[in-house]
Amino acid sequence: MNKIFLPLLLLLSCNLLQAQEKIDNNQSPAAPSTKDGQNKFAIFGNAEMTFLSDKNNVQFGEVNFKPIFLWRISDNLFVEAEPEFETGGGSLDIGLEYANMCLFVNDYLTLHAGRFLPKFGAYRGRMGEGFINRFPTDPVGFGDGGIGAMNEVGMGAQGGFGIGDVKFNYDLYVSNGPILLTDPENAGQFEYEGYVGNNKGKAVGGRVGFLPLTNSSLEIGYSFQNKKKTGDAGSPYENVGLHMQAVDFNYFGHITPMLSDVRLIAEYKYQKVDKATYFDAGGSPFTFDNSPSAYYVTGAIRPVHVHNLFVHNLEIAGRYSQFKRPADAPWGGDDTHQFAVSLDYWLKWNSLVKLTYQDQKDEPKAFYAQVVFGF
Amino acid sequence: MKKYFIVFSVLLLAFSICMTVMTITSCAVSQKVKDKTGTQLWGENCGRCHNAPGPGEFSATNWDIIGRHMRVRTNITATEEKKIIEYLKNTGN
Repeated sequence: MNKIFLPLLLLLSCNLLQAQEKIDNNQSPAAPSTKDGQNKFAIFGNAEMTFLSDKNNVQFGEVNFKPIFLWRISDNLFVEAEPEFETGGGSLDIGLEYANMCLFVNDYLTLHAGRFLPKFGAYRGRMGEGFINRFPTDPVGFGDGGIGAMNEVGMGAQGGFGIGDVKFNYDLYVSNGPILLTDPENAGQFEYEGYVGNNKGKAVGGRVGFLPLTNSSLEIGYSFQNKKKTGDAGSPYENVGLHMQAVDFNYFGHITPMLSDVRLIAEYKYQKVDKATYFDAGGSPFTFDNSPSAYYVTGAIRPVHVHNLFVHNLEIAGRYSQFKRPADAPWGGDDTHQFAVSLDYWLKWNSLVKLTYQDQKDEPKAFYAQVVFGF
Repeated sequence: MKKYFIVFSVLLLAFSICMTVMTITSCAVSQKVKDKTGTQLWGENCGRCHNAPGPGEFSATNWDIIGRHMRVRTNITATEEKKIIEYLKNTGN
């Protein structure tokens, strides 16, 4: 792990010195965009409510409130934080989605530390946001109980740059990483959103994005995350390793003959966990091949260039997703898949009403309605 | 469920054909970021993940903050951030 930390710390030190020099230069009265004592502060975010109707339920529920606090402290320093208030579990659940401190070192490098949204894939923390996701639900394998972290606690470096008329972006981070669960019901699963680590091991992860088209309409990303030690310190599971990879695809374009904008979004995630022997509730040992994977494909079309206001604000979206779970895991079983189709009506650029029909294997067919207001 | 998959696959195929045509078209004009206007970059980058907000949506100060937030969230380049925010500030205020 030192092989990773030492170069990263060296890089951090060099860049902090460089950034400090830049901050000092920015204090010249000639052109400071933000003076000391004049933080630029704003609150944005969104509120959501979901209605569910299936053969077992007809109810309003899952009200979420997610304010985002942003401080532009100076030209180089920035803080973003998002607490999350959720009621989906039947009671008010408050969590810290992220509290991320960023140092803009130069045009191509930003360092950050805190609790942040790791760019492992593009769905969680980005395409899955309430006013970006065209559906009230997550694809199978991409929500809670799926693959990959929503939040990480640690530090990282990120940035973007162009070469000719193509662009690249990158993220690299070191974090506490996922925590292996070993209780009989959840053996082999992970706690992805822990506030503290459970051993000295650290996860190393990142994503490289490539935008090959000159108009940036297509982005293809490759992500990875590895952690050599995921079990509790001192336990027989301490050295159980975790390896994850993801590929994501995002295209946005206009179809002039149809007067419409179209989106095509897809992602595939794969996880491989080292072999380990767990114990069931009766104390009997068992093991299994722990290599789940998941993917989803979404297509959406919105006739945004039609002059009729009502039609202009409509959007139709379809999504198919599949989650391959370990057959012999206590939480596994058969693969599952889900199909959803949604008719959305945009009230504003970040506010919409979603009407969705969803059919998921082994679940009752369901109708959802969701209201999302961005602010 | 299988029929949904087949229907969805056919739709996806049709969609992919449209995309291929669009992609070939969009490849035709090569332009570096530094040569693009803020309006162009706003349309190309903001709309990729969400509907692009118009210039009048926020104040000049808020646009400065939002620019930083988007740079962190999506890794747009510094040049893109600067040009997009200048466009949004100058057009809407």
